[in-house]
Amino acid sequence: MGGPQYDFLSNPLGAVRSTFEKAMASVSDPSSFNSGDWGAMDLFTNFLFDQSHHFQVPVLTPASMRWIKPNTLVRFRGMIQDMLGNEFYVGAYKDGAVWRTNKFMDVSQFPIGPSADTRIWERRLLYCVPVPGLNSWAQISSEAVTDQCMGWTSEQREKRPRAEAECSDMTVSSEEDQGSPSTKKMREGEQPSLASQSRESEIASSSFSLAPVPEGNSLHCLVKVYDSPESELKLNEIFEFVGILASDPEIQEDNVDNDLSNEFCEDPLRHFPPNKVVPRFHCFVHRKLAAQDFLQNNPIIEPKLDMVKGIREALLRHLTAVLGNDDVAAHFMLLHLLSKVHSRVDSLAVGKLSLNLTCFSKEIVSIFGNQLNVVVKNLMPFTHCIPLTVEYLNTASLAPKKNYDINRLETGALQLAEGSHLIVDETKLEAGTLNSLGVENARLLNNLVEWQKVEYDFKYYKMDMTTDVQLLVLSEGKSNILPADVIVPFRPSAANCSEAVTAEALEAWRWYLATVRQLPHSIESEMQQVVENDLVAARQADRSLNAQDLSRWLTMSRLMSLSFGETSLSLEHWQMVKELDRLRKERLK
Amino acid sequence: MASDSSPINNGPSSPDDSPSSPIGNTFSSPGDAARRNRRRGRSSTPSAFDTPPVHRSRFAAAADATPTPSRSRQRSGGAGRPPVTPTSTDDIPASSEGGDGFDMDDARPTFVWGTNISVEDVNDAIQRFLRDFREASSSQNDDDMLQHLHTEGKYEKLIKQVIEVEGDSLDVDAHDVFEHDPDLYTKMVRYPLEVLAIFDLVLMNMVSRIKPMFEKHIQTRIFNLKSSTTMRNLNPTDIERMVSIKGMIIRCSSIIPEIREAIFRCLVCGNCTDPVAVERGRITEPTICLREECQSRNSMTLLHNRCRFTDKQIVRLQETPDEIPEGGTPHTVSLLMHDKLVDAGKPGDRVEVTGIYRAMSVRIGATQRTVKSLFKTYIDCLHIKKTDKSRMLVDDAMDIDNSEGRNPEEVHFDEERVGQLKELSKQPDIYERLTKSLAPNIWELDDVKKGLLCQLFGGNALKLASGASFRGDINILLVGDPGTSKSQLLQYIHKLSPRGIYTSGRGSSAVGLTAYVTKDPETGETVLESGALVLSDRGICCIDEFDKMSDNARSMLHEVMEQQTVSIAKAGIIASLNARTSVLACANPSGSRYNPRLSVIDNIHLPPTLLSRFDLIYLILDKADEQTDRRLAKHIVSLHFENPESMEQDVMDISTLTDYVSYARKHIHPQLSDEVAEELTRGYVDIRRRGNFPGSSKKVITATPRQLESLIRLSEALARIRFAEWVERRDVMEAFRLLEVAMQQSATDHATGTIDMDLITTGVSASERMRREAMVQATRNIIMEKIQIGGPSMRLLELLEELKQSTGSEVQLTDLKNAVATLASEGFVTMHGESVKRS
Repeated sequence: MGGPQYDFLSNPLGAVRSTFEKAMASVSDPSSFNSGDWGAMDLFTNFLFDQSHHFQVPVLTPASMRWIKPNTLVRFRGMIQDMLGNEFYVGAYKDGAVWRTNKFMDVSQFPIGPSADTRIWERRLLYCVPVPGLNSWAQISSEAVTDQCMGWTSEQREKRPRAEAECSDMTVSSEEDQGSPSTKKMREGEQPSLASQSRESEIASSSFSLAPVPEGNSLHCLVKVYDSPESELKLNEIFEFVGILASDPEIQEDNVDNDLSNEFCEDPLRHFPPNKVVPRFHCFVHRKLAAQDFLQNNPIIEPKLDMVKGIREALLRHLTAVLGNDDVAAHFMLLHLLSKVHSRVDSLAVGKLSLNLTCFSKEIVSIFGNQLNVVVKNLMPFTHCIPLTVEYLNTASLAPKKNYDINRLETGALQLAEGSHLIVDETKLEAGTLNSLGVENARLLNNLVEWQKVEYDFKYYKMDMTTDVQLLVLSEGKSNILPADVIVPFRPSAANCSEAVTAEALEAWRWYLATVRQLPHSIESEMQQVVENDLVAARQADRSLNAQDLSRWLTMSRLMSLSFGETSLSLEHWQMVKELDRLRKERLK
Repeated sequence: MASDSSPINNGPSSPDDSPSSPIGNTFSSPGDAARRNRRRGRSSTPSAFDTPPVHRSRFAAAADATPTPSRSRQRSGGAGRPPVTPTSTDDIPASSEGGDGFDMDDARPTFVWGTNISVEDVNDAIQRFLRDFREASSSQNDDDMLQHLHTEGKYEKLIKQVIEVEGDSLDVDAHDVFEHDPDLYTKMVRYPLEVLAIFDLVLMNMVSRIKPMFEKHIQTRIFNLKSSTTMRNLNPTDIERMVSIKGMIIRCSSIIPEIREAIFRCLVCGNCTDPVAVERGRITEPTICLREECQSRNSMTLLHNRCRFTDKQIVRLQETPDEIPEGGTPHTVSLLMHDKLVDAGKPGDRVEVTGIYRAMSVRIGATQRTVKSLFKTYIDCLHIKKTDKSRMLVDDAMDIDNSEGRNPEEVHFDEERVGQLKELSKQPDIYERLTKSLAPNIWELDDVKKGLLCQLFGGNALKLASGASFRGDINILLVGDPGTSKSQLLQYIHKLSPRGIYTSGRGSSAVGLTAYVTKDPETGETVLESGALVLSDRGICCIDEFDKMSDNARSMLHEVMEQQTVSIAKAGIIASLNARTSVLACANPSGSRYNPRLSVIDNIHLPPTLLSRFDLIYLILDKADEQTDRRLAKHIVSLHFENPESMEQDVMDISTLTDYVSYARKHIHPQLSDEVAEELTRGYVDIRRRGNFPGSSKKVITATPRQLESLIRLSEALARIRFAEWVERRDVMEAFRLLEVAMQQSATDHATGTIDMDLITTGVSASERMRREAMVQATRNIIMEKIQIGGPSMRLLELLEELKQSTGSEVQLTDLKNAVATLASEGFVTMHGESVKRS
């Protein structure tokens, strides 16, 4: 089946229904469908990816929320922030003699008689938020898709010029009421009953703390996923969901009449902001996103060696310039930006390369600190910066914490998507006393650096969640809270030669960082022998070298060859790494 | 009821109503099940198969929640009559077809709708079960029964007990049911609502036979199902089935009084109505007074104090961490508790719950135009079992389960697991395998790991009648160069033991380790707060950077490490707290790196009083050994480039390891035989003699009776590793070896107390040893020649010259020194500084 007879974009439910009916014609009982799937998902996958209609699907953003019609196909990109468990729903029921389906819908189209034959199916509820720390350049520009829907959105488009999407602070007042359950809404008093209004206000106050980045323009979404294995969707992973926006934003279950369900505080949605604030989203197709998918015009180019090398040189030049002509620091910076955890052995995270730039005195911070931040922001899709002070440590909630009152996972600053970049600015840290929360937070940061794990607090027990965060620490001396893998004393020689960077160059660099990072890596057996001999020799010469040092060399050598776009380690790169580390060691003396 | 129009009988006569596969057919929707209920109810009503009225409280609330009318309500029509033979002739064809392996004594059974479960058969089966089930005899035929008549069945006895204490529930072990009648078990799990109702009925019949006047209703509570599911795996097919899940209670609602029967009074005439029962979750207020004289309208008012209420509570259960897959968050499920189960658990309890998984549709107000197609699920709780650890393990002196976050009932391993573990223990290389499995990513340090293994297993604690007690915990100190992964080892052990506390010496104060007294901010009372050592009672307290700890704090450890208590005398509180903890400490040598020129004691730089309390003191020296380095290099390279999964094949996974340790600690208590005791004594005397070597007593760690105790503990631990009940000679030998290896004693020069670094780093090759022996021989000859016994001493340099002349080759002073030292240890000469004297 399939084909153009369905209007997938504007009437996906129609497609769902007609395929269901078609499928029902061949079988008598919907329970014969394998876990309730009759091929609708495949149809959509086929439509979106094989026929590449993918980019025509409008993207759900706070802005587009206002003009996207319910029950049309939309895309949503987000990180899974919380999982709300499974939901049982009437998947199929008999309306008279005809079987109907409720899949991908919140409310049934036809009334289900009390005696109707029903089949119960299951779906997963995921609470998704925009990727924390998503930089403006990585935000999906919806221009391409809006063009199609031009007819009735033109006036909005005028209000929202292109530049605004690029601009990092999208605090357009008109969008605020969409993204956040602002107090304004309560004052409007447009809610049908007093009861629900007061409930909403209670929710409004609580859901503020839920947003990882409480910005006005973030759109949280409750995604309902069908028929996917549990291992496919994990916490903190970034996905693009294609599906339907729930049709009826007004529906709120009304607890007037139910004796039992009222007492069942189990409903995950009970303490939930209403539909208007957090839209419900029925997902047909989901796919995991990597950093590459956040590039603006994602060119699928095979990384050619000379091209990669050229880009590398340019990027290195840029980093060197930004870092005041500190060549060594720039090299380490480049390796650091390419690092990722590629495997875990027991609790050891192999492949991470956290960087601690020391010697950041007050003056140097004022010159380079901000600049460095901007550069990283421009290069990496998701970035964060934590200015570490005693007060911050004592007050901030870094670890996500389960709040059983509202049955939600309250996010913390360390609930980050895989591949996020985190700058911890320790230069403002002064002597002070840490309270118990501060000690706990310091421990969390320490664990993050050392094991790439964050402890989530589920009140009755704690659970370690693995993360993959690149950590850059700026400090005056060696940081004790965050024992980074590499400590590089920063030695700028020139003040600041801010060269203008062209947009093309930036794009190339982003592409480079995103692509090269994903390359596979191996080692030839001869080279392995060389490396082993070198390690043994180094250890014989200097007893203070420990396993971590050796491990770091290997990580660096891996990243070094990756930075050249090569997939196996060469002697040249291995020696470069050793030389680089020697230079660094000299500085440490 | 829409379905009333459908044919009354159900059975095989109407094809689409009766699934051809008998019990194997699963009903995946509550709608279906509800229908089944209703039909089943109807089909049984004409047969006057009824429940006593008291019974109806059971599932009424739950059934009311489903959109269909409750079965129990329908069944309550003819109250209190015993079941009679059904008369419905429709059922006859069914019986002929429905013979699913169970006998049909009755030619006219009533069927549970949609199944071929015959009510009578189930009834009989249950009756047989309750009457005949005896433990340890699984199959009972009639002949046996005659013989067993004088012994009472397990459940008959239990029922009598329940009657005696006027209890209101009978706990039925599902394993017993299965053993007695697997078919009944299957039916019970699949159709719990129906079968349990019959169960209750049979039970009440039996009760009334035993004690006719017994008024109370007794419910059956099934527990201990053969298989329990995880919360994650509950899915629509489990609806309306009996399930058993484990989890942790996170919330309890307040107790909800639920009305069961209401009594109304007329405001006009004061006439009271008969009790009005709950119907579909509601009580309808009579609109008209029933007294004929009165008949006033809308005059009825509820009499609160004459109504009958039952307790109800809603509890949220959450998954325990070990069931959560990577990258997931814990799932939760609601439990509905009734009557006695209310407040059976409180938040934080780990429980195992048996109940019926149910779904109810989300109710929508009448004003709502659309229908919500959602279902809420909950478990109608039948039985709740607490699996709280503190209570179960309190009295066992050596009882720690080393598994992190595990339920203690998993320490009571099932037989299969025990078999596996025993099988493991029989392997000849179990000791090596366990060693390898301990912290597999930490390279080398096999002997240290062996010591740690002993610490995990522990020796036997002993309490004499005189009150003296001997600890079974083994304390270990790791002293070593930086970067020898001491801390990782500590972390690993900390992870392995649940009660383990990990502290760093620098950040610990004396009170933080033991206990301190504070004023409660609210009441102003002084309260005792436990410190790390008290908190790790029955666990392992890991102290990193032991050397950085203040002397004051360290001195607090003296008591803990030997007496295993913490005594407090401050602010009016005088108390002695238990701190039965093993201490695992690690420290850097005094000069942060090991200085080979100093003696071991000087390097460790801890007071001997404290040192003697450690059973094993490991000197972990960073040996400049190319072999080790190469292995390390290989390891690291493979870590980065190879598939880490393929690396360590032969190691036990961590859960097996923890199970193994827990089982051994719980069940194995090895004892010393006379022969072994002999061996220990001899060995101890040997060490003692070595330590007492003249002029060396200050330089080496001397053996004290404590060391003998350590040896006993170590031997016991080693025997325990093999699951052996008796300590064997080899255990003792290994214990001695561990003790020696730990201190690098093989390489220690007893005269100076220093460690011969050459000896450690390169090991002594055969040729080297020969050369040394030759050297010693030459020196001996010269000394024999030049020095008389009791004669004047000779300077080393003179001796060197002599040696050079006699051998005619270059001789190093150090070699000579070594040779002289060897001679001195033989007692041939004595050394005083640079001069040598024949003794």
